[in-house]
Amino acid sequence: MAEVYNWQIGREMEYPYPEARPERQWGAVFDLNKCIACQTCSLSCKTTWTNNEGQEHMFWNNVETKPYGSYPLGWDQEILDRLGVQEWGSDGVYDGDTIFEVRDFDWESMAMDDDPDTMHSEGIEGYIPEDEDWAQPNLGEDEPAGEAVESDTHIEEDHHPTWFFYLPRVCNHCTFAACAGGCPVQAIYKRQEDGIVLLDEESCQSFQECVRACPYGKSIYNPVEMNSQKCVGCYPKVEQGLVPQCFENCLGKIRMHGWVNQPEQADPSAPVDYLVHEAEVALPLYPQLGLEPNVYYIPPINVPTDYLYQMFGPGVEEAQETYRKARRGDEEYRKLRGVIQLMGSTEWRIEEFEVTEEEAIGYDKDGHTVARVPMEEPKYERDRFDDQHNAYRLDIT
Amino acid sequence: MSDEDDGGLELTRRELGAAAAGLAGASGLGFLGYRRLQPEEADAEEGPEVAMNPLEEYPNEEWDQKYRDIWEPDDSYMLTCTPNDTHNCYLEASVKNGQITRLGPSMNYGEATDLEGNQSSQRWDPRVCNKGLAMVERFYNERRVKAPMIREGFMQWVDDGFPREDDGSMPEEYAQRGEDDFIEVSHEEAHEYAARTFLELAQQYSGESGMQSLLEQGYDERVVEETQGAGVRTMKFRGGMPLLGVIKLFGQYRNANSMALLDNYVRDVSEDEALGAMGLDNYSFHTDLPPGHTMVTGQQTVDFDLASIEYADHIVLDGINFLTSKMADCHWLTEAKLKGSKVTGIFTDYNATASKCDELITVRPATDSALFLGAAREIMEAELYDEEYVRKHTDLPLLVRMDDNELLRASDVFADYEPADLEKTDAVADDADRPGVDVTDIDEQVITEELRREWGDFVVRNDESGEFEPVTRDDVGDDFDVPATIEGEFEVELADGSIVAVRTVFDLIKEHLTETWDLESTAEVTGTDPQAVKNLAQDFADNQQSTMLLTGMGPNHYANADQHGRAAFLLASLTRNVGYQTGNVGSYSGNYRMAYFNGVGQYANEDPFDPELDPDEPASTDKRWDAHSAHFYTNLDKPLKVDGEYFQGDSHMHTPTKSIWVSGSNSILGNAKGAYKIIEKALRTGNIEAFFTNEWWWSMTCEYSDIVFPADSWAEHHVHDITASVTNPFITTMPETEIDRIYNTLNDTQHYKGVARKLAELTGDDRFEDYWAFIDEEEYRAKPYIQRILDNSNAVKGYDVEDLLSDAREGTPAIIMTRTYPKHVGNEQTQDDQPWYTKTGRLEFFREEEEFAEAGEHIPLHREPMDATPYEPNVIVDDSDSPVVAPETPDDRDWDSQEKARDTNDRQVRNEVRSPSELVDTSHPLTDVDDGYDYVYMTPKYRHGTHTFGADLEEMAVWWSNFGDQGRKTERDSFDKRKPFVGEGYVEMNPEDGREEGLQDGDYVWVDADPSDRPFPGYDPDDEETEYTRALMRVRFQPSLPRGVTRSWMNVSQTSHKSYEAQQERDDGKAQSEDTNYVSMYRSGGHQSMTSTWLRRTWLTDTLPRKDMFGQNMDVGFEPDVHAANGAPKESFVKIEKAEDGGVNEDGEPGGNWRPVDEGVRPTQEDDRMEQYLQGGYTSESD
Repeated sequence: MAEVYNWQIGREMEYPYPEARPERQWGAVFDLNKCIACQTCSLSCKTTWTNNEGQEHMFWNNVETKPYGSYPLGWDQEILDRLGVQEWGSDGVYDGDTIFEVRDFDWESMAMDDDPDTMHSEGIEGYIPEDEDWAQPNLGEDEPAGEAVESDTHIEEDHHPTWFFYLPRVCNHCTFAACAGGCPVQAIYKRQEDGIVLLDEESCQSFQECVRACPYGKSIYNPVEMNSQKCVGCYPKVEQGLVPQCFENCLGKIRMHGWVNQPEQADPSAPVDYLVHEAEVALPLYPQLGLEPNVYYIPPINVPTDYLYQMFGPGVEEAQETYRKARRGDEEYRKLRGVIQLMGSTEWRIEEFEVTEEEAIGYDKDGHTVARVPMEEPKYERDRFDDQHNAYRLDIT
Repeated sequence: MSDEDDGGLELTRRELGAAAAGLAGASGLGFLGYRRLQPEEADAEEGPEVAMNPLEEYPNEEWDQKYRDIWEPDDSYMLTCTPNDTHNCYLEASVKNGQITRLGPSMNYGEATDLEGNQSSQRWDPRVCNKGLAMVERFYNERRVKAPMIREGFMQWVDDGFPREDDGSMPEEYAQRGEDDFIEVSHEEAHEYAARTFLELAQQYSGESGMQSLLEQGYDERVVEETQGAGVRTMKFRGGMPLLGVIKLFGQYRNANSMALLDNYVRDVSEDEALGAMGLDNYSFHTDLPPGHTMVTGQQTVDFDLASIEYADHIVLDGINFLTSKMADCHWLTEAKLKGSKVTGIFTDYNATASKCDELITVRPATDSALFLGAAREIMEAELYDEEYVRKHTDLPLLVRMDDNELLRASDVFADYEPADLEKTDAVADDADRPGVDVTDIDEQVITEELRREWGDFVVRNDESGEFEPVTRDDVGDDFDVPATIEGEFEVELADGSIVAVRTVFDLIKEHLTETWDLESTAEVTGTDPQAVKNLAQDFADNQQSTMLLTGMGPNHYANADQHGRAAFLLASLTRNVGYQTGNVGSYSGNYRMAYFNGVGQYANEDPFDPELDPDEPASTDKRWDAHSAHFYTNLDKPLKVDGEYFQGDSHMHTPTKSIWVSGSNSILGNAKGAYKIIEKALRTGNIEAFFTNEWWWSMTCEYSDIVFPADSWAEHHVHDITASVTNPFITTMPETEIDRIYNTLNDTQHYKGVARKLAELTGDDRFEDYWAFIDEEEYRAKPYIQRILDNSNAVKGYDVEDLLSDAREGTPAIIMTRTYPKHVGNEQTQDDQPWYTKTGRLEFFREEEEFAEAGEHIPLHREPMDATPYEPNVIVDDSDSPVVAPETPDDRDWDSQEKARDTNDRQVRNEVRSPSELVDTSHPLTDVDDGYDYVYMTPKYRHGTHTFGADLEEMAVWWSNFGDQGRKTERDSFDKRKPFVGEGYVEMNPEDGREEGLQDGDYVWVDADPSDRPFPGYDPDDEETEYTRALMRVRFQPSLPRGVTRSWMNVSQTSHKSYEAQQERDDGKAQSEDTNYVSMYRSGGHQSMTSTWLRRTWLTDTLPRKDMFGQNMDVGFEPDVHAANGAPKESFVKIEKAEDGGVNEDGEPGGNWRPVDEGVRPTQEDDRMEQYLQGGYTSESD
């Protein structure tokens, strides 16, 4: 057994457990063209959940500058290096190995149980970061790659020859979570009602196999509580129909939260499905790792595609081109402009949206309007003299 | 730990955890090398057993109640977050067990309405940021000012009866600020010490004896004269960026006004003659005022709500790092981009905002003015300008007499010319006839008849008829339809028969631009690609009335800031991009426009001799306080004087500083430019005798204060307040708190009232206390004061404070009632044909005033920075024969020009002219002192703090780029104990520059500016007592910077005596004072070790026409926050030398590289793996 179908890599894949998908899947789209690395998201999570002793180094949400930033240090260089150079087929199917495959482990030969002696996680490629790797969450902030900056640097190109961008990261609540797949005592699971991956802190026995297995560095050990901890998807909020803290507080208004489906079940009137499956501007993070992560990114249009292809897989160039076309004002992309402008405007989960000439509107699951934003902020003009109040309404007072 | 022992794991979990925590660098093995066992019992046919599939079920979900319990608050309430970032956010505080556990956005900005029912949209939500969220930590932290504190030496001085030296000064032994202990006292005691001090100062420095004493102490005679013999005039009051809390912060000016009661008591003067104390400025002290705006428009600043950028096709960001300092409004930028607006960035480096730009133009710091002049030249020469706008709204068609370089007057040309009756201007007989500031029913601009006569009317040439015609300041906009000649030189016969040559202002400017600022010269001076200059010009020309030019603190923080402003307006005016909702200029720096509440006169200027105690009646006003620039206080109370001659107008003259009482500002001392100069040469010498601070957080200003009054935090408003914003259209009122006071604190106004009560006791004059009648916690809570302000302010009249508070409790602001929503400056001029607040009523590019003539600055031009340049500082760049670029030079004055260039004071009035090619052959005088001096040093603002607010919270400090480390708190083994705190300050440097200086990324370095006056004048590198002032910090290789440009973020808290001592003495080496808990994020000195006060003649005129800060009155000369000394924080030229290796070796001593270097991940020294990663080399596409 343990062959699952991962649509992001377009093929079946090895995994410790049989395929099983929740009733609904917590998903997200982050528009990297809007991210400003303000870290409001990081602070919202920190002050809500991880401001206790033992959690000083812990940021379930972080924003790192790419390419020189990484938290924990070097996490993506490390896992990419462990995988080695891998190939995507020109048909969009991933021909290389995922983290569940590169060790060439025979998953069939192992009992998938909660007896740690079994140590089934061994079949998953990964590493445990050193303590110091968690120390500087913002290493590399605002440091560019590419050409050296000179006094006469003048950039006009679509792809900046000197570039960086910001990558906000949370737990991806992966369909094929490595943490869940690797936990030797089966203390990590996916909720059926919303696909949030949770780590049962009471059952955790500190093996830190989740820390080792999660390639994204989003399972983190708490040395005071002596268990690992991870992003909880803000399930207390999700249960109330609210968006997670890092989404509500996102000052750049870059985030859309909602349910995400597989391609065949995609609902184009639902914002995440629309962005991922219809507009196809939103791409998964390092899909080649094989976890089918459920946080999707609209790639930054000013960054060269070589680097982005490594990070987001095929589809990067088309996604950038689509965004550029939307900028040009084509009617075809009005819906895309609208949903991007809808981002962040409400604390409630949008299950359905529509975009008219003038507005973008978001509805909750009962059809109530929870967000209504004009495509252009209205302008009002007042009379120079307000005779009701005997006041000149001047600008210079 | 046997694998046969079933229960083994449960029993040993604790040991497992402990051992796991200690594991470092574990390989991919499971703990203790557990390996997979082959379960022999697996049935090959059925496949392996799957006990449970966690993807589809979980038996123990009950554990998850934990996070629901953490999430659910008991209660919540709204509070306001109001540091000087301009945004002002309502934050919802979640409360559990009476404590705030977290903050979050109100998500109710979409509900805001104005008095007419217009509503905002949900595009505004959320309003919140990283600092606001981290603020929850600030309410409860040990760093709170928890009770009134008095410095021991000061308490002793007061208790000893204010003993004085022979010259009347405070003996130095009582002035050991920074070293003394602080003593906790009651509020009443603290108020009494303050009151007794004020009485003492008023007495000591009044009368002839007082003035004599000041002269003996060495104060300049004009400065002493300015006290007018009133001791209260040596007392200074300031609320830090007072718009942020009109009642509690602008209340300091009400405080200053009330000191007229003290003057009346102390001196033998009548109530009518009594003087109030001095108020210090804000906007201009912060260097946030763009002085060029006043010169061109006659009023404080032109700006617009940042949401407006989406109406423009072209958005130009000039030296405004939007992403880091205007975070709340970034989505307007990114959404404008998405909808097709082009974004051009003009920056010194590839900064955060550059990553969002369509076009990036790099400029040498402080040469943006030259860039704009070069672009303006392109437009003028190609005739791409909008003739109509130029004619109707600018002084460009006005004629200038070439015999005296003054504007031609109608009375010069037309015999018996009578100045026209003006409808848009009201000329009153006398200053006494001027209306107050708190009137809402006038819209004429008000001047005196004298000014009317002096200014006169002007002349243009009718291009069609060839005739000369008079033009008044009423004849602007569509009220001016003369086809005025724009370019040309003519001869005019004057009324007296003489002939004089005249040229249009346009003609004069064009000559200078054409001959100086061709593309190559512009490129040479700015370091820019010439194509960038062309593009900029073309884009402005192509987007007339559709370009938003936003300028930030970058170019404004240099001495040539006013030239930058004038050049920006020139470029924008030529292309009809001033004053429209879709095309305008905006300068963004701080939240300054107190004038939204011009009714504040009802509060700050209430007659102290006759306070109105009926809450429903308006106050009668009588302004007794006066203002001067705080830059003189930082200049050690010295005027701008060279060789005995004053270079500042009388109206700018300040007084000696004997006391300062400040609320809510660290920029006045702890983060002042030249902070160590003030500490060493004004505070620790006893020159300043009393320094009182209101704070809720123990800042560096508190470290050096005499009395620290503990302020309620922003979570604890017991007295209401109100604020507005220059970047958004909202009125934010502060609702009452719903938690108990955390510490023994009071609202700022309750401290003013407490001191007033003591003054009433000391003097017997109850009016001191009556003045604060509506400050309480039970009944009024300042609401009557707020309502009076609302009732008398143009932009908010009609609002009722109770309604505002009711919405505030929901986290919904009100919308301000200026002319438009979103608001912008310029409607009156472009839509209503009202004049600007200039002499001519037009946007003025020609300055005829003598101070400008002397400086050579009749027209917009570029001057090199005063210090921050590799070239000769402060020179005028000109290659033309222009008759209006004719400064008074050192030769004219028989000065030694080189000597004046070297002296940082005298250099400020040294006028030399260099052509662009001559300029680039010059060098900064410091290069002769030491060839290490090579680097311009900038100190802008970043995203991890708002000024110093929030930057030193642990959860913020860890984000300070490369040098955050929570190990400083957890004391992890591998931690570098040199580190002052969880985050630390650093200097950023181009990697090649760094290597040339022998540095490695992450090393500790010394940063030194001009040794003649920094870290302070008289600094002796061998004096151990003052070594704490020398800047020591990490160097960070930052490839975004071009060569020759370095930078530190100014938000980072600096070294104090106690933090310096703590580093040496504490076991943990933390730079945290043992008694005050003050934390420094530098080991020694700080970024302000390299900065100083700077002054310029053209900021200090007695002749520049301008609107008053409030209301429609116009006058000339000094006006706080409008026309005043402006400072120049980024003027610094430094050398950078290695102090210590960045790493620590096994013995814990400095040695080796800072760890990330060895990890191979640093730019310009990547290992192979990193290189491959950067190239995207880990994936490929097969064919």
